[in-house]
Amino acid sequence: MLIPHPLLGPRDAQEFIYLGDATLMHRPDATRPDAEAAFCDYVFLRHNPAGVHRELWFHEAGDRSWLVVTRNTVTHEIIGAELACDVKLGVTQ
Amino acid sequence: MTDLIPLTALGCTAARHEKIGAFHLTERPNLALASLSLRKGQAVPSPFGLVLPGPGQAVWSGDHGAFWTGRDQWMIEANGQTDLAALLKAAVPNASITEQTDGFAAFELTTEQGADAIDEVMRKLVNLDPHAFEAGSATRTTLDHISVFLIRRAPDKLSVIGMRTYAAALWHALAQVARRTDADIDARLSP
Repeated sequence: MLIPHPLLGPRDAQEFIYLGDATLMHRPDATRPDAEAAFCDYVFLRHNPAGVHRELWFHEAGDRSWLVVTRNTVTHEIIGAELACDVKLGVTQ
Repeated sequence: MTDLIPLTALGCTAARHEKIGAFHLTERPNLALASLSLRKGQAVPSPFGLVLPGPGQAVWSGDHGAFWTGRDQWMIEANGQTDLAALLKAAVPNASITEQTDGFAAFELTTEQGADAIDEVMRKLVNLDPHAFEAGSATRTTLDHISVFLIRRAPDKLSVIGMRTYAAALWHALAQVARRTDADIDARLSP
């Protein structure tokens, strides 16, 4: 399986470590009044879609960048990959 | 003062060299390394007159070189410097600089058979497209489960920089792949 790294081109998936759902990037504000409930959802609740899923992958054996990889969980097709910092900063969607 | 004898990563007093058919495998004990990381928002500097390369690339100029290791992060190389980090810190005082020489061992594989032989070595060794990895390319990847920096210094010259504690295992991996590739080339050339 190859992951299309936005900077380095196609790279072996074995160079990456899988973390999980990309919504992990949106950590709730700890000062919110409902922070406890928000953190409970953040830590324990995940969507488990059969189909397109956005997830975090770490290029551990490469340039050590975090990527948001869009993958179809049914067919295992890799649809795209973006730098997680760009996604977080709103450079790309 | 204590009289210490410097040893190479392979435990010898001189750099190891092995001729394997049409391949030459050489240890480069005098390659100094220091990592350079920019602080947030810092402009890209040009230490030692180097134009720091973009992702997947390497540059050289005289005794110095640099290859990209991550966003806003490079490894700087120098031949025979004993304190490269100090020189680099003097050249780029605001960046984060770490001495790396002692952590790594550098090997160089060259061939008399031209670029195709290095391409064949790469096909056996790493999961990268050898045609896309042309002269001036550099990347970090895995080879025989060992994490390495791979630099193609010329079409027929591949540099492998790996963790120093893995020097012997890395040498074994490179020597073995050179032997196999040489045997394959011989088999094709013989009638």
